[in-house]
Amino acid sequence: MIIVNNVTKSYGKIIALKNVNLKFEDSHVIAIMGENGAGKTTLLKLCTGILPFDSGEITVDGYNIINDSIKAKEQIGYLPEMPYMYERLTGREFLFYIASLRKIKDSEEKIDEITKMIGIHDFLDYEIGSYSKGMKQKISVTSAIMHNPKNLLLDEPVYGLDPLTSRAIQNFIRNKKGSTIIATHSSQLVEQIADHVYIIMRGKVILFDKVTSILKKHGSVEEAYFHIKDENV
Amino acid sequence: MFETTKVILTENSRSLKNKMREAPILYLLFSAMIIFSIFIFAYATFFFINIDINLNISLEDVFFTVFFMFLLKTVADFYNNFIKASQLSYSLSTNVKQTKTITEVFIAILLIQITIWFSFSILFLIALASFGVNVIYVFEYTIFTIGVIVAVCLGCAISINFFSPKKYRLLPMLILLGFYFQIREPLYVIFTLPLTIIHVTWSIKNSMESHLYSTRKERLKDKTQIKIRNTIKTIFHRETTVLWRDKLLYSFVFTSVSTGIFSGYLFLYGDEILIPEALRNQIGGLLPSMFLFLGIYVVIMYTGVFPSLNLFLNEEKTMWILRHIPVRNDKIIFGKVSSLSLCFLTAIPFIPYITIFTGIEKIGFLIFFLIFSYIAGIIISVPLGVKYVGKKSDIMLLYSVSMILFVILSFASVIVNMIERLFPYPIILYILIILCELLLLYASIKISSQILSLKYKSAS
Repeated sequence: MIIVNNVTKSYGKIIALKNVNLKFEDSHVIAIMGENGAGKTTLLKLCTGILPFDSGEITVDGYNIINDSIKAKEQIGYLPEMPYMYERLTGREFLFYIASLRKIKDSEEKIDEITKMIGIHDFLDYEIGSYSKGMKQKISVTSAIMHNPKNLLLDEPVYGLDPLTSRAIQNFIRNKKGSTIIATHSSQLVEQIADHVYIIMRGKVILFDKVTSILKKHGSVEEAYFHIKDENV
Repeated sequence: MFETTKVILTENSRSLKNKMREAPILYLLFSAMIIFSIFIFAYATFFFINIDINLNISLEDVFFTVFFMFLLKTVADFYNNFIKASQLSYSLSTNVKQTKTITEVFIAILLIQITIWFSFSILFLIALASFGVNVIYVFEYTIFTIGVIVAVCLGCAISINFFSPKKYRLLPMLILLGFYFQIREPLYVIFTLPLTIIHVTWSIKNSMESHLYSTRKERLKDKTQIKIRNTIKTIFHRETTVLWRDKLLYSFVFTSVSTGIFSGYLFLYGDEILIPEALRNQIGGLLPSMFLFLGIYVVIMYTGVFPSLNLFLNEEKTMWILRHIPVRNDKIIFGKVSSLSLCFLTAIPFIPYITIFTGIEKIGFLIFFLIFSYIAGIIISVPLGVKYVGKKSDIMLLYSVSMILFVILSFASVIVNMIERLFPYPIILYILIILCELLLLYASIKISSQILSLKYKSAS
């Protein structure tokens, strides 16, 4: 479970998130939607400890992301929006690098299993620098889920992936225990796998509801998004 | 018209302004050092003109130094602005002819180099004029300026053809460079300007296969080396793998060997080569120890300071990896710093090669001063690298660190010389100094780890 308590984050004079309160409960898939620059990626980076924040508190399964960062980070798997990795390492070397740092047992079997599932296994011994964007995304996805984290934070998880891999990842998320947080622009993905959705606008949460309730009220997440956006402009 | 040129120039100037805003003290220091260096060169020129002695450094030597500096800078700039510039795909996909777009990149790079050349040379001439030297050398200045243009043409052509599947196209340039090296006459370089323009035009026409050039490298042999390690070993292994694959270790060894031979040679014959006979008695005695010092300085800068700065400067877009994993900052820094031990091994060949010239009696001092300087370089560079994490290839930072280190090592060298005079066998003292320095290195790593945490915690 991840709790974001009254968090504010600014980049110089620009306020990315203002007094945000969120709760990502276990056994739920929670989507975060919002326009470009709304603060979705920033929120995920704060929850993973990649970025500092100005005020407030974030806890991951009870561990403070700043004061107990090691314990908190052990509970997290993270897929960034842009999968930048060490280009001179091969995919296999990069995954073993992350597995070593995370001290994952049976990492070889896990890497083999996941990379076969998402269709990158045959390219593991090529340098990452020579990969296409989709291939990099697959390696990045593997690094995020191979330690079976309790809390999974995914920034545009299916962007750049082929339909088969996209479906495999969606199945993985559905069957996963713990909380999964997805920042995405795809209302279709939200409808398919999310239980709850947060809509953020200009650094503030303007909606939190169950996806089923939204579908009942508005017919689709996309319609709900436009409706709520118009109301708040 | 010239949209791509304008965009590249705007991006470069904004990036410079941005960097100056982010690290004003560093850039102030850098500007002061540049102006100081230019005035020192101007004063040295004035001094040698006034004493009316023919210095053994010729105008040709200066010309070719400037020429090769601009050649190398152009290769790097063209690589960054064309070969690896994925943002250029936007302008290349428009209905403007691709050759025209690439020519505009070439023009932008030419303008950047010419601006740098004019800025530095005019500042030098102003400094020279302020000492009362007549600076009207129109012919020489024109030759140097055309030399810079030739270097830019050649640099672009080299960059295009080196990062292409058809590397044999480099041959004409290699022949031309060989010709310059053989003739050593600036006028011949100037005469080849039309040739280089033809060659760069032809290269630009055939340059599309170089844009975003990459080869898919399979590394099946290395598969057996992959295993789970502890944190420090894992980070050490990653750092050294990259050093190995980028072939940096070979270049470190080459630098150590060539610097050893070069400074050893100057140790023996530097007086005769560089100092006019009239001055040899007055300042000649200082030169041998100065060349030993400079040799060690160059080796540790290249094999120690640059890699230790780059440990964090290179983590521009990959910092998320280290930030999101559950590993303590000091372990990350220990892992990274431990990879410098491999770089240190590449500095060792300097010792046997310079000893060929200096004789065995200086070996104790050389070993001590190399280790001392190397550790001092790491002590200074690591916290600065952490402070400016992600600012890849920040030449200003490298220059500032090199200047700070130069001052520190100069003082250290004076103290070591005094120790050598006071104690005939100072081995125990040397060991004690190194041990103290290792403690300082430990402190530096801890401070770096604090800086890394502070960068994170300061805002929260």
